[in-house]
Amino acid sequence: MQWLQHGWRACHASLWLAISLLFASTAHAFDLKDLSRQLSEPAVIRGPFIQEKHLRALPQPLVSQGTFVLAKEYGLLWLLKTPLQQDYRIDSQGIARRDATGWQMLPGKSAGAQQNHLFFAVLQGDSAELERDFELNLQGDGHAWTLQLTPRSLLLKQVFTRIDISGGAYVQRIQLAESQGDSTVLRMPDSTSSASLNDSERADLAQ
Amino acid sequence: MRSERLLPRLFLVLLVAVIALAGWQWHDGAPVSANLMELVPGSAQDPLEQRAEQRMQEPLNRELLVLVGSEDRQTAVTMARTLGEQWQASGVFEKVQWNLQADLPALRHQLLQGRLAMLALPDRKLLIDNPHDFIEQRVQSLFDPFAGFSLVPSRDDWLGLTGRIQGSQPRHGAVDMDLTSGALVANADGRNWVLLRARAHGDAFDMQLPLKVADLLADARQQAGRAQVQLLAASGLLYAANGQREATREISWVGGGATAGILLLLLLAFRRWRVLLAFIPVLVGMLFGAVACVALFGKMHVMTLVLGSSLIGVAVDYPLHYLSKSWSLKPWHSWPALRLTLPGLSLSLATSCIGYLALAFTPFPALTQIAAFSAAGLIGAYLCAVCLLPALLKDADLRPAGWPLELAQHLLNLRERLLRHVPSPALLLILAVFCGGGLWHLQIKNDIRQWVGTPPGLLEQAQAIARITGYQPTSQFFLVQGADEQQLLEREEALGKQLNALVAGGKLHGYMALSQLVSPPKAQIEVRDALSQLPGHWQPLLALGIPKDALRAELTQLGQLPLQTIESALLGPLGEPWRGLWLGPTGQGVASMVSLQGLSDAGQLRALAQDLQGVKLVDRLGDLNRVFAQTQVSAAELKLASCILIVLLLLKPFGLGGAVRMVALPLLAAFCSLASLGWLGQPLTLFSLFGLLLVTAISVDYAILMRERIGGAAVSLLGTLLAAATTWLSFGLLAVSSTPAVSNFGLSVSLGLAFSFLLAPWAASGREEAPRA
Repeated sequence: MQWLQHGWRACHASLWLAISLLFASTAHAFDLKDLSRQLSEPAVIRGPFIQEKHLRALPQPLVSQGTFVLAKEYGLLWLLKTPLQQDYRIDSQGIARRDATGWQMLPGKSAGAQQNHLFFAVLQGDSAELERDFELNLQGDGHAWTLQLTPRSLLLKQVFTRIDISGGAYVQRIQLAESQGDSTVLRMPDSTSSASLNDSERADLAQ
Repeated sequence: MRSERLLPRLFLVLLVAVIALAGWQWHDGAPVSANLMELVPGSAQDPLEQRAEQRMQEPLNRELLVLVGSEDRQTAVTMARTLGEQWQASGVFEKVQWNLQADLPALRHQLLQGRLAMLALPDRKLLIDNPHDFIEQRVQSLFDPFAGFSLVPSRDDWLGLTGRIQGSQPRHGAVDMDLTSGALVANADGRNWVLLRARAHGDAFDMQLPLKVADLLADARQQAGRAQVQLLAASGLLYAANGQREATREISWVGGGATAGILLLLLLAFRRWRVLLAFIPVLVGMLFGAVACVALFGKMHVMTLVLGSSLIGVAVDYPLHYLSKSWSLKPWHSWPALRLTLPGLSLSLATSCIGYLALAFTPFPALTQIAAFSAAGLIGAYLCAVCLLPALLKDADLRPAGWPLELAQHLLNLRERLLRHVPSPALLLILAVFCGGGLWHLQIKNDIRQWVGTPPGLLEQAQAIARITGYQPTSQFFLVQGADEQQLLEREEALGKQLNALVAGGKLHGYMALSQLVSPPKAQIEVRDALSQLPGHWQPLLALGIPKDALRAELTQLGQLPLQTIESALLGPLGEPWRGLWLGPTGQGVASMVSLQGLSDAGQLRALAQDLQGVKLVDRLGDLNRVFAQTQVSAAELKLASCILIVLLLLKPFGLGGAVRMVALPLLAAFCSLASLGWLGQPLTLFSLFGLLLVTAISVDYAILMRERIGGAAVSLLGTLLAAATTWLSFGLLAVSSTPAVSNFGLSVSLGLAFSFLLAPWAASGREEAPRA
């Protein structure tokens, strides 16, 4: 059972990663391979995010906001600003959270094998890895597209109903529907790309 | 004479009776065992400890752990599934598992029911002592995008207790679940390794099962090899299969080799086909040994058989005693030759039996078995050689070859010439220097692992599996006892605190204890009482929009949750990994075990358990190795005792001086072989000591032969040479055994025999007696 739970946790984190890493401008042709190839092109993407957690029992979603930085070579920095402040980092070591003394690796979320696997698969634009666990359905063109992920296995279906990702030049919206009826919507309205990290980002990511 | 007709008949009656007994013993199949634990001393333990030990060992002896590795994950998963299905169909296994079938509703149910009882110690503390932070952390986790999937939806658990329980479950190793197939996968060395577990119907001590499992695995390996998939396997069953195959191979080698060598020697020396009849006492000896062993112990261990096969070389000495007289007695007749040698023959039986039976007084069932087997075997061989064989050889016209006698004479001359240049005292001095130097280099080594031949292949695979999965069970564990569940779990928590420190210090990878699954009843009540303070702190949750009514309802529900017992917690799916640890009610209360993973220093555990009440470290291997060391001392005492006994026995026929001299020589031979072990860089083990114990007994024979000088010095030396050669043939072959203990035994006996032969002529010197025949 421990393995099972560990697996799920890894899966969940990997999904967020996978989704986060899909932020990328998309250009001409539009199949999965092309999309994948382009994902790995920008060195750094950053922008604000708005996360809405829709819990079935609550009339209003739990809304949080912040900014993110995704560096192809290093990992992801997820800086929650409101309603509370909390920084997260995901890299090849695993998931870490910042407290008063610095970055703390989250126990049980350290470099799970599968997690790393997916992480690097996505970094390298390897949609084949994602395709093993999900059915991928890509529609639209480079300016306005939708990618739908449907879990393949019975096990995953018990956790997620489906995941929808849509965007234009960049990923703009991710919706994750859990089988229990809750859902999470993640919006990234103003992402931009750049060639390198700034100093403070470098200090956090590329130490 | 009457006795010449009567004795063979009486013996035949006895033989038929023994054969009948053997037939009855074997009618239900071979009474042979391969259980290593039957060979080691059962320390004085209480039944509870024994039960705990059996419980811990059971999976090792029944489970097969396989990693199916391929660069492509799908290939590995497919192969694991194929093998899993084949093995399930084979009927050898009770259960084969290659993936996890999660019962989510059952998991949710248990988590919800266990919200108070299964909360880990730090979480309990936080809830009771610091409800403000507890609520803050809950708010944080509701926004945490990486908090992970919670099995229970937030609306059923606003306080996030199930999430905390999920997060505090101990995790070992680097195994993740493949989300598509449910297979358990580890990544290492650029490969995906899928875990395949199978549980056999019987255990490793069932004689047929290990071989079946090994065959299935060999087939699987071939199949996997064709698909470029690598298999790693670990199981006590594989060790057992290997041990059985090795034992069979070694019994055929040692038994076959010694038999062939001895028959050849007999033919070469006596040049008559009929002399091969001298092998009958050997067969009778083996029969008597086996029957006595089964009669006394219920069954025979394979190790007894391997070591017992060396008896061939000793048993053939009895006929050789009087056959070798054919060089001097011309014409040779069987009965008169026997009568002439009977006193010596009987003395040598007595001394050998003393030597073997001394082994029986060590605390090792293994050696007791070997001693019983050998003593009974020697008596059988002796009786056959004395009662039956002379009748069979009655009209034999032995024409022994001349060359062995010439060789013996040549050796004697050589010795004479040597003694003329270097007198005996000087030789003794040289020998003493040799012994001193060798003993200086001698290292003592005792380890139960010497008793099992560990083929490097199996060991490497087991190590690779431990490395890849991070699953490294240790043989040590803690036995915890308490008057009731409250005390038991409290004691486990106290132990857990100490173990946590070891884990933090990198001395231990992890551990499994029931206290990780369920809290003591009093702690459950404390948590329930602490719930009432939460409304004073839950404003942040209300601020998120969570209805006050929902929170109130949850508190009411939590307050009504029943207290969980250990058994009710174990019943649910989350309890599965802990189930083996619960020993349940005992006479004095309840008991459980705490198992360990990846231990680097066993010494610290012992100190740790001493300070905790009701906690006991069970370290069978460590205990055994200590027993080994203690036994070395008692082995030395036994040796001394057997020497005194032999001196007493020889006192009458040879006088004090003669008796002491005849015992001193084998002792000196034993020292020489000890020294040789030192010079050769071979360790001194308990087994080499036992071997030397035996040498003393056997080589007194040679001294008797040389001392009695029936037929002259050359004939006596020849008799000694033949006896030593046959004995050496069988013990020397033991040295090739793959089991370190057996090979060590063979080596020390061979060395001892060689020195005994070299020293034997000195048994006669001193006062030169005229040949008695």
